[in-house]
Amino acid sequence: MARIKAIITKEFFHILRDPRSLTLVFIIPLVMIFILGYSISYDLNHVEAAVIDYSQSRLSRQLVRAFAATPVFIVHDRGLDGGALSLARAEELLRAGKIREIIVVPEDFSSRLLAGGQSSVGLVIDGSDTNVANLVYQYDERIILDFIAALKGAGGPAGQLLRLGTKLYFNPEARSQFFFIPGLVAVILLMISAMLTSLSIARERETGSIALLFISPLRSAEIIVGKTIPYIIVALLDGAFILFFARFWFGIPLRGSLLVLMLFALLYIVTGLSLGILISTTAPTQRTAMLATLLGTMLPSFLLSGFIFPLDSLGWALRAISYLIPATYFLRIIRGVILKGAELRHYVFEGGMLIALCLVLLAAATWKFNRQRKVVP
Amino acid sequence: MRLFYLIKKELIEAVRQKEQLFLIFASPIIQIVILGYVISTDVHHVPVGIVNLSKGQAAVRIIERVRQSPLFAVRLESRRSEDYLYLLKKGEVKAMLVFRDALDRKRTPLNYPEVQVLMDGIDSNTSMIAAGYFNGIIKNYILDDMQRLGQGLPIAAKPVFRFNPQLRSINYMGPGIVAFLLTIITMFLTSASMVREKEQQTLDTLLISPLSTLEIYVGKALPSVLIGLVDMVIGLLVVVLWFGIPFRGSLLYLFLAALVYLAAILSYAMLISVFSSTTQQAMFFAWFSLMIFLLMSGFFTPVDNIPPLLRLLADINPLRYLIKIIREIFLKGNGIAYFWKDLLALGGIAVTLVTISLLNFKRFISK
Repeated sequence: MARIKAIITKEFFHILRDPRSLTLVFIIPLVMIFILGYSISYDLNHVEAAVIDYSQSRLSRQLVRAFAATPVFIVHDRGLDGGALSLARAEELLRAGKIREIIVVPEDFSSRLLAGGQSSVGLVIDGSDTNVANLVYQYDERIILDFIAALKGAGGPAGQLLRLGTKLYFNPEARSQFFFIPGLVAVILLMISAMLTSLSIARERETGSIALLFISPLRSAEIIVGKTIPYIIVALLDGAFILFFARFWFGIPLRGSLLVLMLFALLYIVTGLSLGILISTTAPTQRTAMLATLLGTMLPSFLLSGFIFPLDSLGWALRAISYLIPATYFLRIIRGVILKGAELRHYVFEGGMLIALCLVLLAAATWKFNRQRKVVP
Repeated sequence: MRLFYLIKKELIEAVRQKEQLFLIFASPIIQIVILGYVISTDVHHVPVGIVNLSKGQAAVRIIERVRQSPLFAVRLESRRSEDYLYLLKKGEVKAMLVFRDALDRKRTPLNYPEVQVLMDGIDSNTSMIAAGYFNGIIKNYILDDMQRLGQGLPIAAKPVFRFNPQLRSINYMGPGIVAFLLTIITMFLTSASMVREKEQQTLDTLLISPLSTLEIYVGKALPSVLIGLVDMVIGLLVVVLWFGIPFRGSLLYLFLAALVYLAAILSYAMLISVFSSTTQQAMFFAWFSLMIFLLMSGFFTPVDNIPPLLRLLADINPLRYLIKIIREIFLKGNGIAYFWKDLLALGGIAVTLVTISLLNFKRFISK
């Protein structure tokens, strides 16, 4: 134990000697959450749409008003210069990205409806952003169905179409901040932890001081663990700091137990630090370590953890990879504990997987380090 | 000629280790392929639970349709009023579909059950999409019924999706990832470059060489430009050949935009390198910038959603313009008439960054 302590003390000196890095570790995540917490959002509003109304009847105007009445659409029936809007002009605006949709009401819209027949509404939607296009089309359908219902009264099978009652639990206003901010906390914590340790051994290798570690009487496992421990304190403080900010600045509720959350955060942080240590023992230079850390943590935690894209939709191969990514587990835990008030017993599997990942990473790092140690004469 | 040797040295340093070589050239392919599969899978297999309290046949038939749909994965079906909140809380299902007999049976001749969707609101985006799917299933079911009775909806919506008729999300995201990988690799290579010379104390050797300041600057930046362009070509090939994303515009403009962008991003990275005193600091700064650049670029979520004050920050984000231009060229096949403003803005940012960066570099060298 006393031997590990020596390494811990030495590592602490390293941390304190570079106060600028230490400050960055605390400041950067806050600024990041502040900016991104406001900026990442799926909430759809102010969709610019053009209306080409060939019918110009009471009914068609009623339909256009129904579109304009929703907060989602901003409906234009005139060109930007105030002149009449032709279909060709509107297509041009669509191509230039000035509008996202053209609503075309055909000439016989009113006459056919009044005669009890069938009519249609043309929707030309900019499909480039598929997510937005889908949402826009869903809103369109809703508005048109509502219009039909109002037309015929609530009765009839058509009226039934609208009777889908929906209720959102845990986030009744559907604020996407509730989804993204806990996710950001998870992704940032992992990256910060991995970055903290990823240079520690690579640096010793570059400056040559690694020889001193090699010839020390310490066992490799002791060196690896000793190099990790000081950063646990730094990262845990950092994590608490970030959570505190998310809680009080963005008003993300904490519905579960803080203790449970911090316990899992600790596990998660140690896993991140172990990942960093493994990278550090593998990378020949600091620059390689830095590139590997960023490439190895950023995109996987963004894409394969459920941070942005739901995991249920992925194929089995990618799902299998997602089980190797620490952020996958912590994302589930943090969202559950913070927003749903979930408890410790809900996350036995996730906790177990984090411990397993952490042990495997540390063992791999020790093994790597040990091998390098033996090669040096 | 002197410059050539510095570029050669930098290139050798960048590619001499196999680990680094792998990161620079092989990892982009892996990342693009994985990303491609992640984003080209649209939401499906949404885990749901079903509670059927209705005695009618309609509910059974609708449930059958839900079971057969690849959009949903039914995890539980029950005829009792289960504690659905518990399942939602555990995260086992994203939504509970509840069928009840309508109270007012006389209202419709067809006797549909009342349907309620209880959703996990945290990933509200996915939940809403799932509710939309479910709505579609019910609507189709009722429409089939109506058709049997010889009726139809009075107004049919006829959608056409321009530029991406099948709504393949990879067509939208794929070109963006090329821009992003271009950024990540060149930014990290460059932002570590001067710091390393500082840390290894080889900076003096460089300074006493006959090279001028400008030559050192260009010599440090050019290898990254080359690596970036090679990565971009690799990325484009993967995106077009592997994922079959149509390329409709001009390659010339694409590379023009990429070059202007590289000038901007590399001088920014050089600024980081000059300001940081250790590799670790450079890494933190580069990471911070990259996260902001990426998440405020419109790559994942629309730029329009950023609130006005922070929009200013998005307006000076070079990646935002590159992604916009790449998408215009790829998806819409638009010519320069449609994005000259963006290119101009990108050019303005590049000129500003190069100037600031060069001035700081000069000051740094003369110290």
